[in-house]
Amino acid sequence: MAVRLSRRKIATYYADQLLAGRADVARELAAYLIDTKRTREATLIIRDVEDALEKRGVMVADVASAFQLSDAAKSAITSFLQAHSSASDVRLRESVDTTLLGGVRINTPSDEFDSTLRKKLAQLKATKV
Amino acid sequence: MEYVLTQFAATESATEGGIFGALGIDITMLVLQAIAFLILVVLLGKFVYPVLIKAVDDRQEKIEEGTKAAIEAEKKADEAKSEVAQLMKQARKEASEIVATAKDEANAAIEKSEQRAKVRAEKIVESAHEQIEKDVIAAKKALHNETIDLVALATEKVVGKTISASADDKVIAAAIKESN
Repeated sequence: MAVRLSRRKIATYYADQLLAGRADVARELAAYLIDTKRTREATLIIRDVEDALEKRGVMVADVASAFQLSDAAKSAITSFLQAHSSASDVRLRESVDTTLLGGVRINTPSDEFDSTLRKKLAQLKATKV
Repeated sequence: MEYVLTQFAATESATEGGIFGALGIDITMLVLQAIAFLILVVLLGKFVYPVLIKAVDDRQEKIEEGTKAAIEAEKKADEAKSEVAQLMKQARKEASEIVATAKDEANAAIEKSEQRAKVRAEKIVESAHEQIEKDVIAAKKALHNETIDLVALATEKVVGKTISASADDKVIAAAIKESN
């Protein structure tokens, strides 16, 4: 039976492994969580791994937009994130959400940037008195 | 008795003459008549005149008393008239004072009522203004909120149908540029 480790240690370990280029890291992590019966912590551990990666100069950002992002948009977002963090390597995890209407929403482990029209409309509605 | 005297006088006049006879005067008859007259006078004086005089005196006394009472009454009437005039004068004066006082009080009451009515009217107007102002503010707020809802809804509908991928790229680029 595997040793029960803290989330921080798990995140540090797997971040290092990912940066080392191991391809089967995800499978190993899944096996460990199943073995230790901690599958419910998967989301938290992944977030911790992303935090650990960010500290090592690799940022994983969730990017949601109403349309598929063009290369120019991706490049602009990458540059934007590099300029506003210490990350030298930015990886985008894209998703399309038509309810956002337009613009982009970027979630990083430590920050959030939302310039979607949905958010702006929500802000406009929030000005109701 | 008169009949007896008459008979007696007629008898005497027929028997005696003289001047009285020539003149047709029967002296005896005359004397008897004088005596009868005197007796009558005495009787009247003793029994009738005192009663009449007493009645006249009483009447005179009553008349004098009446006159005196009338004078007294007239005097009293004059005094009463004077007193009435004085009282009337006093009453008029008091009435004038009462009327003047009543007028003053009425004027004061009217002025007080007017002042109260004015204050109340001002309060009502002020309250109405405040209420109108509140209503206007509430209406503005409602209009503001409704406009926001409509704008948001219209924007959502229009943008949802009209925006394209290229336009979205421009929106993203503008947002990133604005944040930099």
